[in-house]
Amino acid sequence: MSSTTASKTLQAILPGDFSNEDFRRAKLAEIDASCRTPVLFFFVSGLLWLLAGTLFALVASIKLHTPGFLAGWESLTFGIVRTVHLNTVVYGFCSQAAVGVAIWLMCRLCRVPLVAPGIVTVANLFYNVGVTVGIGGILAGDSTGIEWLEMPRYATPILFVSYALIAVWTIITFRLRAERHLYVSQWYLLAAVLWFPWLYGTAQVMLIVEPVRGVVQAAVNWWFAHNVLGLWFTPIGLAAIYYFIPKVIGRPIHSYYLSVLGFWSLALFYNWNGMHHLVGGPLPAWMITVSIVASVMMLIPVLTVAINHHSTMIGHFGKLRHSPTLRFIVFGAVSYTLASLQGVLSALRSFSEVAHFTHHTVAHAHLGMYAFFAMVMFGSMYYILPRITGREWPSNALISVHFWGVAIGIVLYVVVLSAAGLQQGRMMNDPTVKFLDVVKFTIPYLQIRTVSGLLLALGHAAFVVNFGWLLVRMFAPYRKPVVSILAGAEIASPSGK
Amino acid sequence: MPVITLILLGSIVLLPAAALLSLRWASRSGQLGRFDRAALLPFDEEEPVGRATDQILGDNRR
Repeated sequence: MSSTTASKTLQAILPGDFSNEDFRRAKLAEIDASCRTPVLFFFVSGLLWLLAGTLFALVASIKLHTPGFLAGWESLTFGIVRTVHLNTVVYGFCSQAAVGVAIWLMCRLCRVPLVAPGIVTVANLFYNVGVTVGIGGILAGDSTGIEWLEMPRYATPILFVSYALIAVWTIITFRLRAERHLYVSQWYLLAAVLWFPWLYGTAQVMLIVEPVRGVVQAAVNWWFAHNVLGLWFTPIGLAAIYYFIPKVIGRPIHSYYLSVLGFWSLALFYNWNGMHHLVGGPLPAWMITVSIVASVMMLIPVLTVAINHHSTMIGHFGKLRHSPTLRFIVFGAVSYTLASLQGVLSALRSFSEVAHFTHHTVAHAHLGMYAFFAMVMFGSMYYILPRITGREWPSNALISVHFWGVAIGIVLYVVVLSAAGLQQGRMMNDPTVKFLDVVKFTIPYLQIRTVSGLLLALGHAAFVVNFGWLLVRMFAPYRKPVVSILAGAEIASPSGK
Repeated sequence: MPVITLILLGSIVLLPAAALLSLRWASRSGQLGRFDRAALLPFDEEEPVGRATDQILGDNRR
């Protein structure tokens, strides 16, 4: 939509004394306002699932060093609680935050207000019904037992419909875009929304609907589980990083060529990686070797992304003190590099012989899913929410509590469990060490894990309170602030009412 | 023919075909060129290059 059209629309809706500058700024405000309801639905429901996931995470963590905790509840055994934690956080929070961010980014980069909001709303409803049924099924003991696909078969078709609707909406928006040239973030977003329904559907059919037999099940399972991160979360996370770093610091990405190289090399190499989880397993050696080679080749996209982001930030690190978005996004970008390098290392047979089946793997998963992806989503929300609601963040102190709580918490978690996992692996490989001694060795580290979980919970609580406060303000009469981060939304109330 | 086989064969044919078609479209429509322009797409006349946003913490608030 042109600025002229946006200006006319604005003038019709809000009669008042607007300057030409106000009209010129109306375009972004119109796009942001069009995203308000659908994106808020995804963010609010995602955060509710995050709170539930955090609670289950704490229960699971405490059970690891204090097995008698809540031992009288058959629905709260470690196997169930840990599985519910994974599914609420991965599918409840991360996926919904990802879709919310993807919707806003697509509208902004296509330069069109959100079209077909009904599709997005129905997708959100289906999604939350699907996750609720799935989590309820796991709590009732109906887990499939297949890692990352634990939701029972009666829940997954509902989720598939939702993924498919999101893909359809993205294609419609893409077709209607006003800006013909694509930014690299759009490449990542388009790929993610088209890859994931295929990935999810294929894995469901091959593992749940008409299960393949024998070790092929494990191969398909890890092909899916690894690609959930690689072909769904990673592209959306990188799309956000490629948008928000330049946007916040006001400087284009260092090398667009490198960003394109990074996208296509990720598309080429990532989906071969999953089999490295089965090092030592009864699979044909060539399958695992191909996967290890592809894992090492991931150095190409990872290093191109790392060099590109770091080079873009040079000279602008001072802005980290003033931008919550930049803090979270840069933290996530650095974590992406570290998680990927750790992943390459973990794929090697010699390293896997020690680290596999230890807490090192758990630390690696959290470095990828939380320190990288969840942090990028938090940073994106800090940028998007004031723009779609037309309100400032109510409390800077709560933003700081959120950042430092989760940053210290996840660093503590990853460092302690990575180190403990390596020692645990060495002890398990030593036939003279009793298994019970290995278990006893890990207990102090598991207690530190619970402390880090409490820090994460503190950060989440601060974010949810600030978010809720923002929503309350959204429905309150608007008072024009002295200091504003909003570029176009200020004009929503020219009289300062 | 089992459903699994159909899915696998379909994936083997359709996915590389989709990737190749995407590359062809990208090349023909100039998406793989004009990188200088593409890098500027997050910016526009409302939020131009050189203008930092989101500076809300500390004593440097706009």
